[in-house]
Amino acid sequence: MSYKIPMGPYHPALEEPYKLDLICEGETVCDSKLRIGFNFRGIEHLAETRNYIQVVALMERVCGICSNIHTLTLCQAMEGLTGLTPPPRAKYIRVIMAELERLHSHVLWAGIAAKLMGFKTMFMTCFEIREKVMDVLCAISGNRVNYAMNRIGGVNRDISDPQAILKMVEALELEMAHTVIPIFTTSRTAISRCANIGVLTTEKAVSCGVVGPTARASGLPQDLRRAAPYAAYAEMEFDVPVQPAGDVTARLLVRALEIMESCKILRQALAKLPPGEFHTPDDKFPFITGTATSRVEAPRGEVMYSVSWREGSRTPSRVHVRTPTFANMPAIHWMVMGARLADTPLIQASIDPCYSCTDR
Amino acid sequence: MSPLENISEKLGTTEPWVEKGGVHWLPLGAMNVRELATAMNGLHARFVTITAYQLPKEEGFRLEYHWDLDGQLLGFSFPLADKSIESIYDLCEAVDWIEREIHEGFGLDFLGREYEPLLLRQGETPGVNLRDAVAASNAVAASKEKK
Repeated sequence: MSYKIPMGPYHPALEEPYKLDLICEGETVCDSKLRIGFNFRGIEHLAETRNYIQVVALMERVCGICSNIHTLTLCQAMEGLTGLTPPPRAKYIRVIMAELERLHSHVLWAGIAAKLMGFKTMFMTCFEIREKVMDVLCAISGNRVNYAMNRIGGVNRDISDPQAILKMVEALELEMAHTVIPIFTTSRTAISRCANIGVLTTEKAVSCGVVGPTARASGLPQDLRRAAPYAAYAEMEFDVPVQPAGDVTARLLVRALEIMESCKILRQALAKLPPGEFHTPDDKFPFITGTATSRVEAPRGEVMYSVSWREGSRTPSRVHVRTPTFANMPAIHWMVMGARLADTPLIQASIDPCYSCTDR
Repeated sequence: MSPLENISEKLGTTEPWVEKGGVHWLPLGAMNVRELATAMNGLHARFVTITAYQLPKEEGFRLEYHWDLDGQLLGFSFPLADKSIESIYDLCEAVDWIEREIHEGFGLDFLGREYEPLLLRQGETPGVNLRDAVAASNAVAASKEKK
């Protein structure tokens, strides 16, 4: 006989505003239904009432973790409508901010995953390291969460002492290489809780259109930094980690390896930071009539912005945001099928879902 | 043959691709969205999203479908004469949530599928145009303020 367990919104085992109705037989999940929209904010609609400066500040609030990615994608789209090209230094600073944000996001996720595994000492270690990443972000931008770094035509703040930031990044890299990654990849707790659970096969990953680490952990080598480079990524050398197994361990490994790749990119970008201006000189620029689209590889996967503008208008006529969690979350239905009920919180967390982005 | 030319051949069109605003656009002529989705499946393109546009005055709506093929973003535009278009959910599982979101946010119907609400407005009836609903409620608030 089957029975339904409604998890969420705001369930003790699912501290996020979405609902996962699990149909179980004994301890085994045999079906599920997902519902979102509990914190829908209408940000896309609100963006149509904001001018080109205000809309950047607004879209930074779509996500509390990858706030920089949203303004980067938006500014790149708006640069397509204004004809502005950011100077090389600005493109490098954008890469540095994006990779620091990836570190921050991946380490935060590792902490939450550790907590859900019942490995709470690791949660504390991860959050301690995350604080240090946020210190670096704060040293650059003056802010810990909403960095206000991107503007149309470049960035708002320079990195005046890249060597000092480089030292902070090297210290972080050492700490992650010596603690987080070995523990997650070798500890019996992590392996026993993650291996062979929440499997998303390559075929299902393709049909669900999943993105980012969730796709790469199911054997799909897709990464926009490599496939469609933006900012200064074409000048960076890095690997795209791919794991074929599609289980929670694979998602853990992909993110662990990506942490090391991000450190590699950061070292290159800080060492090669080109001289010159960090934004275009113009503060006022006309928008042409049309739609421009931009895509960026956020920590959770592809973010896409489509921005429409009419010449002479003070506000955009449409801003559409496709966030990675919106693409990844429906796949949870397939990941939890046949899983043990006790594993479902960790399985849903393994895609690193962001409900702030999803309920934009 | 370039990948884009290969797509044109598969879609049976001689129209040229136009690169604009970061997207490769192909005018589809009489091809419908289901034929397009079938062709995209055949090319192993990854579905990205659908963007809905409410056009000014009484011009209706436009839907832009996007697929990714090896890092190239492909775009196909469909003007809607009425407020409906055929669903491609049975051909492309990844469109499920965006079709539901557009149904709830713009009041457009994707024919041939059933909806479960995403609950963009919890407790409200799905399938209304949120822009119109917000404008109407703002007008009511403004008239109350006047009184």
